[in-house]
Amino acid sequence: MREYLLYIKACGGSIPQVQTYITPSFSVDRSFWQEREGCVLHVIGKTSSLALAFSLRAKVNGYVMDQVGKGRALTDGYVKELRALAVSSVCEASSLYGREVMSVQDRRKHGWFSWEPVEESVEVPYQGGKESEKLPGTRVGYSGGRELLGRSSSHENSQEAVLCEILDGRALLWEEVEALLNKRGVDVHDLSAILHSFVLANKAEWRPGIRFSVTKGWWRNRLELVCERCGSAGAKVELTYCHTCEQGCAYCTACLGMGRSKCCTPYFLMDVGASLIRSAEHLENVARLEWAGKYSADQSRAAERARCFVANPRPGLSEYLIWAVCGAGKTELLFPSVTEALAAGGRVLIATPRKDVVLELAPRIKRVFPGAKVIAVHGSSSEKWEESDITIATTHQVMRYHRRFLLVVLDEADAFPYHNDPILYRALSRAVKKNGKLLYLSATPPGYLQKRLVRKGRSNLGSSGAIPLFSDTHVLLPGRYHGAALPVPKILTVQGLHKRVQTNRIVAPLIDTVNNSLNEERQVFVFVPRVDEIDRVLSYLQKWLPAHAGEMAGVHAADPMREEKVLAFREKRYTVMVTTTILERGVTIPKSDVVVVGAEAPVFDEASLVQIAGRVGRSVDDTSGSVLFLQAERSTSPKRAVRQISQMNCLAQKLTEQRGLS
Amino acid sequence: MTSGMCVRCGGLIVAFQKESVAREKARQLSDQAGYPVIYRMVKGIVLCGVCLDALPLIGHDICQRCGRDRELQAGINNVGLCRDCVHGKDSENLVANRSLLRYEKGERDLLGLFKYRGDERLASYYGTLLAITVQRYYRCMGFTCITTVPLHPQRLWERGFNQVDLLARHLGAAIKIPVKPLLLRTKDTPKLSKQKGRAARHENMREAFVWDGQDMPSASKILLLDDIYTTGSTLRSCARTIREHLGSSCEIYSLTIYR
Repeated sequence: MREYLLYIKACGGSIPQVQTYITPSFSVDRSFWQEREGCVLHVIGKTSSLALAFSLRAKVNGYVMDQVGKGRALTDGYVKELRALAVSSVCEASSLYGREVMSVQDRRKHGWFSWEPVEESVEVPYQGGKESEKLPGTRVGYSGGRELLGRSSSHENSQEAVLCEILDGRALLWEEVEALLNKRGVDVHDLSAILHSFVLANKAEWRPGIRFSVTKGWWRNRLELVCERCGSAGAKVELTYCHTCEQGCAYCTACLGMGRSKCCTPYFLMDVGASLIRSAEHLENVARLEWAGKYSADQSRAAERARCFVANPRPGLSEYLIWAVCGAGKTELLFPSVTEALAAGGRVLIATPRKDVVLELAPRIKRVFPGAKVIAVHGSSSEKWEESDITIATTHQVMRYHRRFLLVVLDEADAFPYHNDPILYRALSRAVKKNGKLLYLSATPPGYLQKRLVRKGRSNLGSSGAIPLFSDTHVLLPGRYHGAALPVPKILTVQGLHKRVQTNRIVAPLIDTVNNSLNEERQVFVFVPRVDEIDRVLSYLQKWLPAHAGEMAGVHAADPMREEKVLAFREKRYTVMVTTTILERGVTIPKSDVVVVGAEAPVFDEASLVQIAGRVGRSVDDTSGSVLFLQAERSTSPKRAVRQISQMNCLAQKLTEQRGLS
Repeated sequence: MTSGMCVRCGGLIVAFQKESVAREKARQLSDQAGYPVIYRMVKGIVLCGVCLDALPLIGHDICQRCGRDRELQAGINNVGLCRDCVHGKDSENLVANRSLLRYEKGERDLLGLFKYRGDERLASYYGTLLAITVQRYYRCMGFTCITTVPLHPQRLWERGFNQVDLLARHLGAAIKIPVKPLLLRTKDTPKLSKQKGRAARHENMREAFVWDGQDMPSASKILLLDDIYTTGSTLRSCARTIREHLGSSCEIYSLTIYR
């Protein structure tokens, strides 16, 4: 069983210092302090639950802080007091835990937490100078621990360096650390001792998978459990009896898919701080950009601004938004920024919401950056644990990184998993290096991002002023790369739309639009708000347009044939595709039109409708197309979407006029 | 009218959509006398109507020994046993096995989530399914106690939870039969999918358990619980250990979620 020891370090000197520490192997600590300074270590006790140890540490540290104010020195009586404090807080936590868990599990006799008080004080004399003389060339700090472990220092040193490199910038649960080392073929004899020496040297951090603390309330005290990995709390954390630590434990259900984050699992965050040291030649090779494409004038302007942001060493300026309309060529805009970050010797992360986007993006990036190592990281990817210069990951995988990347790009910042999910935003900002940069990429940035990053001209007067084209924190790209305007949707209110469809009565605009498009040999997306409406609308269209009935299909998220159907639609074997919002982004089909049936439904918000309208007219050969929003009653979001699109068109036009003048 | 989330698809459970499905399933699972009890349990399953409808329930025609659905097994003789049970050795220890569901693709993922990922919220869902199985097949058996297939201590430490124990706790509470641990695992066998063949599996499980319980009357009926019956080696090995200790007058029945 893993056990954690809680001890107090008291060192003399002119200002007495008292501090509490947690260690999985006491001998490492003892030798560490031996080399640093002479001090007395008072052991308080041990437990196998890391979360308990951490909550006690917080408690004891708080108490000590209080007493320091009173000018009290660390005497035997004081230590005894602290030990009693630890025991009483274990009792309190145990009873609080018992109260929360009682509805789920049967009562236990001896309390939920086990805590073993240890009364032991060790005096550690200062031996630092001698040690470092004996072993020249080794870093002060580990040699004693190394001797205790009985291995040669050079071997140990290299192993440490290897571990340092492998674990740098990662945030992993204990099992994941083991799996990672296993995969790399590194066999470490006493892993926890070495990792703990990193912690003592301030290069890394231990945390319990679930942290708990007792919070004082006006009515009763409560036990508050928070997942350290994903930050979720409350109902997301399940209490249970754990057979690993043999006491009350809890695990997080929000991030369960990535391994169980528990009270007794150490969560190890490594942050060496220094960036990789590489030769200039190597960096030049890594950052080499091989791209034959060409920017339009607008694109190059936006790309340059983004690059400047990444290159800007000014601290505090860490977030940037590239707001580019659908079909503006967002991915290409990234290349200069990525080059910049790679040339500075940093790593780059591109996070996207969906696995298919990762798989599509990875080969593209690989082609453009031939010198860099690119890996695609998603739940079932085999490259998950490899080193790389550019990482393309799905959102949840980002949680495994800790201050690793100089540049983090978030693609489709408004898409489903990110939107309004504090867990993923938290993970994202944690993956950024200390002075790294975070780049958001979106066609329809959500309100909170706009508020934060887009400073509007006269926003304080309440009126919606024109959106500025650029600022310190954002750049706006209002036109498509081929220069044509975005197709502006047409809104039509049809009384009793759904009833008409249900009873097979004619809805002239719907039938006419679809029919016209089909006669012009164009393809049509028909969006509906709910899955169960797909079949209804499909059979309705098939009834009214019998000539094309065989070329129609419906697809939804849980459809087993989803990929085949979308592929068939791409290959023009289907000409009409009835679908829900799953196809609102990522699908590009030249020569297509869009009809939304029931645009008043709440699933179609402004952003979603703008995305849907953005499916049309994306390719150079066919820049126009028709977008029709059919609604059963008047509603705001279609109107707003139309307003946003025409606003963008207006800005784009102004921009071209300006360029024409100058 | 919604009550909670479906454990399989994560959607909302709409009561009136579920109603008709629950009725049909309950009818399928019971005769006239047992219908009210089963219906109430089926209604309590935390699944939405669509997922409940898709449950791969084992039909009426089953192998009388191992509980396998005989519709899917070709070439069965007419003794009421499936081929494995006719040819299998060592069959006298376990009187019968009963299960509720066939082990199919989607089920594998859900069981994996429970068993390996450790999503303990699923325990109540599976507990309800087991209670339904007991109602369906073992209604008037009068079991003395429920016992479970134990996990090796080392494995238990690694995982931190014992999924079968959780099931037993829920089942015991539902059908009001005490749960008693009777066995201890002494051999840590590798994962099922990493073993080769039926014979190797059988050989592996031999002598894997020892008795570790209190004294019990020798003529007791014991319900042995596990999550899945694949070849039956584990359950038979457990049954043999129990019978060696209690004598041959005790009867051991087993119950699993999947067959």
